[in-house]
Amino acid sequence: MFSEKHFAKLIQRTLLAGVFLSLFLLFSGFAFTVSGFSSGAPLLRAGLLALLLTPVARVGMLIYGYWRGGELYFALLSVAVLALLAVSMLL
Amino acid sequence: MSELNALNFSILIFFGVFIGLAGSALGIGGGIFMVPFLVLALKLPIHQAVAASLVAIVATSSAVAAVNVERGLANIRLGITLEVTTALGSLAGALAAGRLPAAALQLLFALFLFPVSALMFLKGRRPRKMAAAEPPPPAGGASALDASFFDPALAAHTPYAVKRIAPASLLSFFAGSLSGLLGIGGGIVQVPVMNLLCGVPMKAAAATSNFIIGVSAAASAYVYFRRGLIPLELTAVIVAGVLMGSFLGIYALYRVRSEKLQLAFGALTLLVAVKMLLKAV
Repeated sequence: MFSEKHFAKLIQRTLLAGVFLSLFLLFSGFAFTVSGFSSGAPLLRAGLLALLLTPVARVGMLIYGYWRGGELYFALLSVAVLALLAVSMLL
Repeated sequence: MSELNALNFSILIFFGVFIGLAGSALGIGGGIFMVPFLVLALKLPIHQAVAASLVAIVATSSAVAAVNVERGLANIRLGITLEVTTALGSLAGALAAGRLPAAALQLLFALFLFPVSALMFLKGRRPRKMAAAEPPPPAGGASALDASFFDPALAAHTPYAVKRIAPASLLSFFAGSLSGLLGIGGGIVQVPVMNLLCGVPMKAAAATSNFIIGVSAAASAYVYFRRGLIPLELTAVIVAGVLMGSFLGIYALYRVRSEKLQLAFGALTLLVAVKMLLKAV
């Protein structure tokens, strides 16, 4: 059984993973930029991208969690949100 | 850094930490302060300021929501239900902003800040007048959106029923549009909607709103990102500051009473509104 507690932990870990990955990339980017390396800007861009993709990963986990928990209505709503995010990436 | 000197870097980090702390303490995304700061103090074009603010809101939301979800404060089912229309509105807002000239956007932002400052004053003066939790209906009439959370102030679980989800979804579209258009989180609309219309207790409404605004801000941020409107280095510095401030705020300010802060921020918002209006006209 996929419990509420497990589900909350999964969402929490997804959000924290995205945030810490973003922070790691941003600080690496600052360090490279200050040291005069050209790879600073791509790292900063990657850090912002990691952050901007964190909500997508969170919605992906909601789909997985609700699908596993048998709550298809909420899984479907999560799919709709994911589709909207995909559309906004293409506009 | 090419566009940032050491002084600007320190100011931006400090400002980001301040926004992150305010976001954690008040449950706001911080856009109502960030956009004016970037436009008035750093002379950034408003479209870029809105874009940077949206990215920072994703940062605050993700950091704070991680904790709120684990504490059981955010109602995830209610959140994902309202996210559909909020994200749709956010997308529409970002597209509309792209068609508006900077002066019009600035004027809209300034006009929006006046009711926001009034709301903050009211919340600070009458913190107990907000809707109290309504107990869930007896078995049979319960909805899948009903939930409960542990309130440390009462040292008890607070169950509540969620009502009027259809009008709330409609109003969420409006909250999302404001977010995409003006670079704010939309919590200023979303929290009263959930609290007063749906009957969700204040703490759960603030946490659920914070959960929602990460997705709505991301939806509009992608539009700005694709158009190359996100100032890279400046946004990166602010985001780093905001994340540090958010984590500090989550643990340091969890028990601070926010009414006095609301009054202070209400006054600050009014001041910012006047400055933005003077710049726009």
